[in-house]
Amino acid sequence: MNTLNQVGHASPRIDAQKRVTGTATYTGDIRLPGMLYARVLRSPHPHARIRSIDLSRAQALPGVKAILTRENCDVVWGSGDTRNKRYLFNNPVRFAGDAVAAVAALDRHIAEEATRLIEVDYETLPFVLDPEEALQPGAVEIQPGGNHSPNNRGERQPEVYRRGNIEEGLRAADQVFEDHYTSAHVNNAQLEPRVAIAQWEGDKLTVYASTQGISNCHTEIARDLNLAPEKVRVICQFMGGGFGNKNQCHDFDLMAALLAKQAGVPVKLEFTRKEDFLSVHGRWPTKQYYKVGVKRDGTLTAIQLRGYSGMGPYRKGSGGIAGIEIYQCPHVERSVTQAYTNIAVSANLRGPDYPQGVFGIESLMDDVAYSLKMDPVDFRLKNMTRKFNDQTPYTSIGLEDCIRRGAEAFEWKKRWHAPGAGSGPVKRGAGMAMGSFFSSMGRSSAVIDLDSRGMYHLHVGVTDIGTAAKTTMALIAAEELGVPLEKIDVIWGDTDRCPYSVGESGSRTTTHTGYAVVEAARDLKRQIAEKGLPQGSQMLTATANTNPAAPTAARYSFVAHFAEVEVDTELGHVKVVKYVAAHDSGRVVNPLTATSQVKGGAIMGIGMALHEELLYDKATGLPLTAGYYGARVMTHLDAPEVEVLWIETEDAYGPFGAKTLGEPTIIPSVAAVANAIYNAIGKRVKDLPITRDKILGVLA
Amino acid sequence: MKAFANVNPRDVKDAAAQLRQPNAVIVGGGSDLLGMVKEHLVQPDVLVNLKAIRGLDQVSAKGAEVHIGGLIPLDSLSHEPLIRKSYTVLAEAAESVGTPQIRNAGTLAGNVCQRPWCWYYRNSFPCFKNGGNKCFSVAGENQFHAIFGGGPSFIVHPSDTAPALVALDAKFRVAGPSGERTVPAADFFALPKVNASRENVLARDEVLVSIQLPRAGRGVRSTYHKVLDREAWTHAVVSAAVVLDMDQEVCKSARIVLGGVAPIPWHLPKVEAMLAGRRITPELAAQAGEAAVEGANALAKNGYKVPLTKGVVRRTLLGLATKA
Amino acid sequence: MSRISRRKFVEGTGAGIVATAVPLKGQTARTAPVTPSVPHTTIQVTVNGERRKIEVEDRWTLVEVLRDHLGLTGSKVGCDRGECGACTVLLDGRPVYSCSQLAVWADGRSVETVEGLTQHGQLDALQQAFIQHDGPQCGFCTSGQLMSAKALLNHNPHPTVDEVRHAMTGNICRCSNYNRYVESVMAAAGTLSASARRKA
Repeated sequence: MNTLNQVGHASPRIDAQKRVTGTATYTGDIRLPGMLYARVLRSPHPHARIRSIDLSRAQALPGVKAILTRENCDVVWGSGDTRNKRYLFNNPVRFAGDAVAAVAALDRHIAEEATRLIEVDYETLPFVLDPEEALQPGAVEIQPGGNHSPNNRGERQPEVYRRGNIEEGLRAADQVFEDHYTSAHVNNAQLEPRVAIAQWEGDKLTVYASTQGISNCHTEIARDLNLAPEKVRVICQFMGGGFGNKNQCHDFDLMAALLAKQAGVPVKLEFTRKEDFLSVHGRWPTKQYYKVGVKRDGTLTAIQLRGYSGMGPYRKGSGGIAGIEIYQCPHVERSVTQAYTNIAVSANLRGPDYPQGVFGIESLMDDVAYSLKMDPVDFRLKNMTRKFNDQTPYTSIGLEDCIRRGAEAFEWKKRWHAPGAGSGPVKRGAGMAMGSFFSSMGRSSAVIDLDSRGMYHLHVGVTDIGTAAKTTMALIAAEELGVPLEKIDVIWGDTDRCPYSVGESGSRTTTHTGYAVVEAARDLKRQIAEKGLPQGSQMLTATANTNPAAPTAARYSFVAHFAEVEVDTELGHVKVVKYVAAHDSGRVVNPLTATSQVKGGAIMGIGMALHEELLYDKATGLPLTAGYYGARVMTHLDAPEVEVLWIETEDAYGPFGAKTLGEPTIIPSVAAVANAIYNAIGKRVKDLPITRDKILGVLA
Repeated sequence: MKAFANVNPRDVKDAAAQLRQPNAVIVGGGSDLLGMVKEHLVQPDVLVNLKAIRGLDQVSAKGAEVHIGGLIPLDSLSHEPLIRKSYTVLAEAAESVGTPQIRNAGTLAGNVCQRPWCWYYRNSFPCFKNGGNKCFSVAGENQFHAIFGGGPSFIVHPSDTAPALVALDAKFRVAGPSGERTVPAADFFALPKVNASRENVLARDEVLVSIQLPRAGRGVRSTYHKVLDREAWTHAVVSAAVVLDMDQEVCKSARIVLGGVAPIPWHLPKVEAMLAGRRITPELAAQAGEAAVEGANALAKNGYKVPLTKGVVRRTLLGLATKA
Repeated sequence: MSRISRRKFVEGTGAGIVATAVPLKGQTARTAPVTPSVPHTTIQVTVNGERRKIEVEDRWTLVEVLRDHLGLTGSKVGCDRGECGACTVLLDGRPVYSCSQLAVWADGRSVETVEGLTQHGQLDALQQAFIQHDGPQCGFCTSGQLMSAKALLNHNPHPTVDEVRHAMTGNICRCSNYNRYVESVMAAAGTLSASARRKA
């Protein structure tokens, strides 16, 4: 059925050889002549005013070459907070892990020792950890103006979406269901810890960053350091994952640059793993209160969500709670409040608004289905979205196929049963959940140079965080140009050589940058037809700066995940024993790497469902579980085999009809596991993560 | 890390002497120690590297006893045929620790003497274990803390091999500057009410050199059941080291020692008395589980350890007794 | 077995450096000085079959020496606490966390890193399988996964899926590409020929 030559065929990553031979250069692998090492001193308090900083002992340590604090550095980190001024070094410090000083020294051991010699006189302040508590009158004010973080219109009001009339919808119901759920702060936990290398050559700054978005990084560094854009270069050839926490420039990129300026030599700033957990960001914790109105026959009449997201003390993320849009329903009201809290900052982690919201709504809808004695699959088929917000047609929607064919592949009828049925102590159960994710169209660029040897040099501003973006771009180019993949040479990861790319976030690289690649390829073909192939030292160059108009229709990818679990009710142990993920991402450009993405996202979601939480001690406001051990990140033995089913729909937009892919993979997985546990034991845990103590708690 | 010197002692006597220097600490496999130095929980000037001493990692049968050198890597220990066959609980306990990489480096003595993994301690809270006079878990996040024997510190002993060794009635050979002494395993560990800052009776200048196991009777069978907090690579939430001396279907005598529930390996003599001379039926195993949690004192968040312990004891006893 | 060696405190400045720094990808070779007054030791360690003599600070971890002083940046530091496996190397043939080993403890021993898997420009069967079966996503855990898998196949050339998962438990992959790693190792095990198999 696939009539294309490159796109749609399983292709190994074009850079896989470098990754498996240890020859891929990640930022931390780079050493420059004369390079210093830097470390950051961080607040040990969740909220404190700094009275004074004494650097004398640190400065006296042999090998220390430069120190930054608020006293000699008042640079604002623009991307660190979209509502407030967030400096590189803030006073007061607002979470345990907030930066206080940065030191550059001859080696990392001296740098670390120097941070411990810096004496800071803190005046501790009251702190608040929970978003609802933060909104109470009398709570300590974390940012000027109060702890209710302004919405998109600058008002200290919730973010609200409405359609219909919620009161009318609830009145029209035969039954109203009400429940509430919580989700925890979860860290991105990408394997590569944060690191940045800054080097000045005259007045030109090069930053070797570990970033998903060299273009963004470039723009923001120039802005924050007040440099002309052509005086900044950002390089990232390989990076070890990010899942959303590496798409902008970061405070430590700027610190490295300033230390390098002060010291006159390159500076490599490194994070420890604990710092990475605490001082970048993770997924916002939420509290979700739902009401759902339904008719006897299972038709939805009303969905209401009142939600609270704890953003940490700096507003770096949207704080949204998504999920209810997957349902068709005439009367809907969603009101979400983002609050400042004195915990680690919250911002993007894979599908930022979604998995926690889908956990909430899909847990409740599951209860609704059971109460009406409906099969959860039938309930979703009945009530799933047909038009976006019940109003706008989708460009393509394969959700029904995802549910039906996923259920079939999973053997739903065989595995699903009445909740809690079966003799113990080990009980099996099946659960499912559905979801959708916006597939945007937008600005990006690509340049293709054709030389006389017949090699096509494709310049794209991607860094490939593990998504196989380079390979995807090459496949798209090869397809459109009608040439073998080996003829494509991808040049990436360097703002001096690559045009703008949106950055690998929002699952937009394939659609945005891929679109530009197609246009550049088409332009090149036109040039070849016009001028002939280049000879000798000639080059043909095609540039595409595209920003296609969004279709009037809504463009979304759709997913349905099915999980079977085994719950040992005597020991409270959960094991996922079968997992099927059905995905509509339009045309799949590279089934090999796309399938890996789905497997990975699903397993990350299982970890979020069962284990992960950045837990704080309430009395001191200090974190207890930062790190891979504390967070209980999934291991080989935790990961089940994930079966992936592609439901390819025809979509007229995007390169070859490709829709967003990377983030939908985690969106329904938490809910699918939670619903499977409910099916197994007949009791529901409504607070993530669903750990052993909570399971034994509901069974007691 | 802070600067320190690595010293390779010639022999145990030399090691004990080196330990008398200020800020000198023992290192065996080093897995846990280096992490603690990096976290500034330990600030040594000298690391006394016991790996340098030849011959501390051997397993040998000595008459009626089996002697195990304290420096034996956990992986080697778990694969040692004599241990697997006759002291299965110890092989299984060693095998349950961490990951292959940890077991290739970590030693038996290191596992026995491991410091707690309480998250307050490991995050440098100024608690009893860190030179302070408070236990933060009492009013805080105590999901993983003790339900027996706690107070004033409520840590649980983090070792897997320790409960197995207590269940096996092992004896520890300890060497110091003035010579060697033998400490029964059960006497090696100290409750916090005795000394809240330490978990065992080892002095600063002493080395756990070897562990001696009594001869295993012919009818003896044993196993280690560990409940973890993901599928692999955590310390025990609750664990049970069980040794049964069977005569056909009758349990002549039993040894049951729990991990993950107390600041020391938690011995259950009352439960053992219940089983002596009896057939371990499902009903008796269930009763044993109930008896195992008598006197448990749950904190605010670790109450689940009570039914969990019940289940672990019941299941482990029944499984071991009815094993073919 | 390790030789007994004595560490020396070197007084004053100007300690002699014997590090054999490797030029990195076009960069000029840079020796890595120990800080005088910090305890240091000269060690001899065989790395990927090659004898190396290097002066190290006693506190330097093995991974630090491999990466920063021997130019072997294939082994990665993911956590520096022995909690992730990105730094896994083979020490005398056994996988260990090189972040949790001092370099001085490797004196007289042999270390194998991912760089040693490629022999005479030929990729190891595992490396080829990782490419074909999409083992690496971001690739940061890949070196460690390879070394654990290599150790497994060295002594168990035909493992079951369960044995593979157990052998590689100590290697975290946050991209969560576990299914693919297992698939890759099973594929490599299936194609191992007598010549590709190392003697254990």
